[in-house]
Amino acid sequence: MARQPDDKAAAKFSSEDSALVRELALLLDETSLTEIEIERAGLRLRVARNISVAATMPVPVAHAAHLPVAAAAAVPAAAADLSKHPGALTSPMVGTAYWAPEPGAKPFIEVGSKVSVGQTLLIIEAMKTMNQIPSTRAGTVSQILVEDGQPVEFGEPLVIIE
Amino acid sequence: MFDKILIANRGEIALRILRACKELGIATVAVHSTADADAMHVRLSDESVCIGPPPSKDSYLNVPALLAACEITGADAVHPGYGFLSENARFAEILGEHNLHFIGPKAEHIRLMGDKIEAKKTARKLGIPVVPGSDGAVGPSDDAMAIARKIGFPVLVKAAAGGGGRGMKVAQSEADLQMALSTAANEAKSAFGDASVYLEKYLQKPRHIEIQILGDGRGGAIHLGERDCSLQRRHQKVWEEGPSPVLSAAARAKIGETCAKAMREMKYLGVGTIEFLFEDGEFYFIEMNTRIQVEHPVTESITDIDLVLEQIRIAAGGELPAKQSEIQIIGHAIECRINAENPQTFRPSPGRITQYHPPGGLGVRIDSAVYQGYTIPPYYDSLVGKLIVHGKTRSECLMRLRRALDEMVVEGIETTLPLFRDLVRQPAIIDGDYHIHWLEQYLAGQAEPSGK
Repeated sequence: MARQPDDKAAAKFSSEDSALVRELALLLDETSLTEIEIERAGLRLRVARNISVAATMPVPVAHAAHLPVAAAAAVPAAAADLSKHPGALTSPMVGTAYWAPEPGAKPFIEVGSKVSVGQTLLIIEAMKTMNQIPSTRAGTVSQILVEDGQPVEFGEPLVIIE
Repeated sequence: MFDKILIANRGEIALRILRACKELGIATVAVHSTADADAMHVRLSDESVCIGPPPSKDSYLNVPALLAACEITGADAVHPGYGFLSENARFAEILGEHNLHFIGPKAEHIRLMGDKIEAKKTARKLGIPVVPGSDGAVGPSDDAMAIARKIGFPVLVKAAAGGGGRGMKVAQSEADLQMALSTAANEAKSAFGDASVYLEKYLQKPRHIEIQILGDGRGGAIHLGERDCSLQRRHQKVWEEGPSPVLSAAARAKIGETCAKAMREMKYLGVGTIEFLFEDGEFYFIEMNTRIQVEHPVTESITDIDLVLEQIRIAAGGELPAKQSEIQIIGHAIECRINAENPQTFRPSPGRITQYHPPGGLGVRIDSAVYQGYTIPPYYDSLVGKLIVHGKTRSECLMRLRRALDEMVVEGIETTLPLFRDLVRQPAIIDGDYHIHWLEQYLAGQAEPSGK
């Protein structure tokens, strides 16, 4: 399961949260959904069509709510199932994912990139050592599943190559 | 106090640690292999990190993965539980080098007690009675036969790097000595990477009695009484109880104070257990375990002290929970370790638990991570859970245990529940009249346990 940040500032409605609300509202427009609700560490957010956006106060999460960090949690397609995708490359280690060789440099790959076996796709950093992660398949990158600087765990799907 | 503890273990002890963290308001990180993604403590923890594939060496023993998991979650302390890395001095040091707290003793004490020969020397120096034996390792140039004769046959050949009941061979008489020495050394080399062996007097019908201690690392230490763990099969404890049916309050106070005094001199930090063989009123030190033990709930039941919680508080610089004079032993407790094994052959029985009903009621505690629908993975130990029962007297405890065992339901896998239902009805057990060979002799003499 993906890491969930320990969010001590859950009580404040931050600019990140309003960007999230905007994103959810857009999602409502684009789909036939009338209501979207997401919940994570201390914050539950519900966006409903034709009603003004309601952001509820932080609620104590009495049970584990293991959601991926990205707001894509609202979308029914489960990120967890992608690890079973035939073209998925999963993380061989625990660490922090970086898509470029160094900050500001061009990323190793993008959606649409053609890759060969052994080609470096990303770096996973752990305890100050940078580990280049090679591709185990040849093909075209169709999806990039983690963000730059995102912590990843063993077995987490990183990229889909088809 | 720590902000976030990474639980470097699995199964029931990981859940146990999680409970203590929650009570202290400390955030929890559960690390797990892919085989344990559905573990109860993983579901209940604040964060989780998958650290590797099923094999322990690639996951629960994978130090780089554990360190990386601390890094990405911001954990500031690691609780190692029991087994795995809990008595790995190097791991404790590495954590320190990364500014992480290891919830356990100082690395030097882990190392000291991990070497069974050094542990015995230290014990003797600190005034703890030891089993008569060779003074240190018995090498090829030593006159093993002379040493053995001096100790008196039968003798036990033990691996210096062993412990936990592993790496021991009996030589009943002079004729057996050479074979015992060479097999023990060979097995020790392959199991522990160290062929060093030493000799000890083999006691005929001792009981295994261990003393729980708690040290604050600054020279303060108390003891929390004993646990009698004589019922063992292949050196693995099966049934533990406290207090011991054979110790008087005076004997308890004497051995307890001997141990606590030794821990004060060492400036020991955290929980620890000093294990003895007890025969004819005499105690003989065998080893010290520098970690929380599987059977810690027995002591918690009779002293009302939460040992895991105290471990965490003490590791964070806290004080001991009580003065020795304030520690009271109340009533009696028995723990049964229920394994996913056939109750006659003891063959492991991993698989899906289709029906699960844990017993309840006053004085009944289950420390288990299983639930209905849970599949016990085949990669790790076979512990389903521990049933711990407390009563005001040993009789009341036994009655309650009998009721709890009869009530408990675990279906879909084989378990050793029938064995315990048998044991609780055996006269020798009811009388408390047993020793460390009793259970194996009982099992050998049984056609089939009659409890269903």
